[in-house]
Amino acid sequence: MAYLEIKDVHLGFGTPDNRTEVLSGVNLSVEENEFVAVVGFSGSGKSTLIALLAGLLQPDSGEVMVAGQPVKEPSPRLGIMFQNYSLLPWLSVYENVELAVKQVFPDLRGSALTDHVNRYLTMVNLLPATAKKPGELSGGMRQRASLARTLSMQPEILLLDEPLSALDALTRGNIQDEIIRIWEQDRRTIVMITNDVDEAVLMADRIVPLTKGPRATLDEGFEVGLARPRNRTTLNTNPEFRQLRSQISRYMRTLNDESKQLNQQTIVDLPSTMPIDFSVLPNRPAKGRRRPPIFDRETTFFK
Amino acid sequence: MAETTAEKIKYRILRFLDITGFTVFDPMVRLAFGEEPKKQTEAISKYFLIPILFVMLCTGLWWVIAPKHKTKSGEVPTPDVVWRAATINDTFSSREQIKADDFILSGSEREATLLAVTELIATREADLEILNQALAQHEADYAQQLEQRIAPLKAKLATLSGQNRELRSVAKAAITEAAAQFEAGQVASEAVVAAVRNERQVYADGRASESLIKQAIEAIRSEKYKPMESARLSVNAVANELQFLNKRVDFLSDSNRSLKVAEAEQKLAAQKAELAAATTAKEAISLAKRVVRSEDSLERLSGQQYASAMTVYKQIQRSLFTVFVGFIMAALIAIPLGILCGLSRIAMACLTPIISIFKPVSPVVWLLIFQIVVGAFFLDPDSHPLFLFFDSLPWLGALGINPALIFSACTVAMCAVWPALVNTALGVASIDPDHVNVARVLKLGFWDRLIKIIIPSALPLVFAGLRISLGVGWMVLIAAEALSSSDGLGKFVWDEYQNGSSFSFANILYACFVVGGIGFLLDRMMIILQRFVSFDGGGTSL
Repeated sequence: MAYLEIKDVHLGFGTPDNRTEVLSGVNLSVEENEFVAVVGFSGSGKSTLIALLAGLLQPDSGEVMVAGQPVKEPSPRLGIMFQNYSLLPWLSVYENVELAVKQVFPDLRGSALTDHVNRYLTMVNLLPATAKKPGELSGGMRQRASLARTLSMQPEILLLDEPLSALDALTRGNIQDEIIRIWEQDRRTIVMITNDVDEAVLMADRIVPLTKGPRATLDEGFEVGLARPRNRTTLNTNPEFRQLRSQISRYMRTLNDESKQLNQQTIVDLPSTMPIDFSVLPNRPAKGRRRPPIFDRETTFFK
Repeated sequence: MAETTAEKIKYRILRFLDITGFTVFDPMVRLAFGEEPKKQTEAISKYFLIPILFVMLCTGLWWVIAPKHKTKSGEVPTPDVVWRAATINDTFSSREQIKADDFILSGSEREATLLAVTELIATREADLEILNQALAQHEADYAQQLEQRIAPLKAKLATLSGQNRELRSVAKAAITEAAAQFEAGQVASEAVVAAVRNERQVYADGRASESLIKQAIEAIRSEKYKPMESARLSVNAVANELQFLNKRVDFLSDSNRSLKVAEAEQKLAAQKAELAAATTAKEAISLAKRVVRSEDSLERLSGQQYASAMTVYKQIQRSLFTVFVGFIMAALIAIPLGILCGLSRIAMACLTPIISIFKPVSPVVWLLIFQIVVGAFFLDPDSHPLFLFFDSLPWLGALGINPALIFSACTVAMCAVWPALVNTALGVASIDPDHVNVARVLKLGFWDRLIKIIIPSALPLVFAGLRISLGVGWMVLIAAEALSSSDGLGKFVWDEYQNGSSFSFANILYACFVVGGIGFLLDRMMIILQRFVSFDGGGTSL
């Protein structure tokens, strides 16, 4: 039996006569210590899926099971990292992480507590900024603080809800590397939502696309067979990577009506016009001036 | 880039100005440290000089328009009159303080001060003589001028009344004639009516024309003659000072506490000697009783203070104390209730009708209600244990806590509770759902969630509500004090209004500025507190 399982889950919002079925018939199995990436379009119900996994929402029908037990309520075991960081703005970075640690490990006191907190802050390279409040940090630092908080709870499953979508490309690369590094150091089950196929192929073991909502479902996944550690720079020339990436991208495009339209091959007739032939125009320069040599070159278009 | 100490000081000052909200002084600090002089002078002239010019313009308008409007309480005071009223209040207050100090002065200090004061009296009396002479001179001048101006008008009035009397007698003769004709049957009754009406009309016209001239005479009489007025003012000032100095002499000699205590001690010693020389038992008992009584009164005397009259500063103190008591009462009720309303929608639904109905009620109504309801607790205020306890405390006793103060504080609390309550409820109810999710994931218990997440998240709105509450409370207090007999700035205004002395109107305007100034300072204080707890760096409106 898989470690994390979603069995035939349906979830909708609204009144009975005006219901939007967000997720319909969703099935997913994740093995222990597997890195699964879910790719999907915006508004297809990705955050709802993660909230379901974390226990923040309950499905209308179907079950979410972790290690054989159904998930009824959120807990620190299911470490969710929110899309908009959810750091408490009146506490410093250190205090934010400390709050989580104190909740999960109430027996830790004094220097043991400080060491624990600092270990995770060092892991995400935020040690110089521990006394700052979230309002004083950049987006990347906030994301790292949120990651540190989630990791310091030492959850069994990491649920990352589009962790890097609000960052610039360079910071994104940095934090991707950090997540991979942390995962390799300390293997855990990770389910990551992302909208970037490249990122998914770089980081995950398996990629599961989420079809377009409403009534989104999870299709069969694509196994990523690339060997680890994956080098970002050489990956672009790796044929297996390119094939996988284009396969997934093409598949995603078929899901979306809009991109289906973009995909169509259409032949457009160009208007039939004749370009002007400059070589026959009179080109008498002013008195005493030599005609510039450019006009002596042959310029012929269609005649 | 390392910061020099000058820069460190500059940024510290700038940060202080930012926290206290006095950012208008920002360019001046920057200019003083030599940063971008052109830009700073531009900013100073735009945001400091021009507003100052505008305020001066308004003051100038006040100065010009005020004397043009004549009311039954005298002229509307100009700014200099208001300033003079302010200095008079200040002098009175400092004089009361000096008297209080004199009362307990003793020994060589007392004698030295007494000597100095008696010398001052002598000089002042000489000054008064000179000023009185000048005043008499001015009065004579004024009387003469007045006579000159009024004489022609009076003559005109005399001739006019003579004319009017003649006209009236003519009209009265016409009435009798018409009546006689009617009796003789020559004319109808309407003629008699017409004649009577004519006489009435003549009478009214005569009165109207006479009263016009009388009004003109009155207007001339009521015009102020500047030199005489200022002479009178200086005479009054010196006379007041002399009165004060004489009272000081009194306090330094006859009524002085140390002298009275010495006298009482002497008397006690004599009584004790008498007791020692007593022969019979009965005599001994009565003499002993006398000794005990003397000892008690001696003890009372040595702790006595001068019971000064109410000065403006004492009233300001009392008002501030009342408003803070009321505000704290309001905060203690509003914040827990607000948190409850924010957390539980049922509680919010229950309290909404009560809040909606009682929020618009005027403080005057609350004051009357509280006087009746709360007054029932203190049927005999003089011997109520609560007031006796307050009087015995060192600092509160000086303020003189009485039921009227409690009524005013309750009124302030009742009116100030609504903004704080509504804002707290809003703050608690509108927590970012992300923070709530964090609490859920961390599995925080109810109290942990409340203290660690809900309250810190709601604090900015809570303090915004408290700030509004304090402002409302201050406004309400002045109205409540004007109506109840609780001593404070409101009572000061009300007394001045009832008083009708020459400085009343100016005192009322002075109180207006004082109330406004104190309200501004209270508001600033709350803004600073609000800035300390707000984590979103949000600015506050004015």
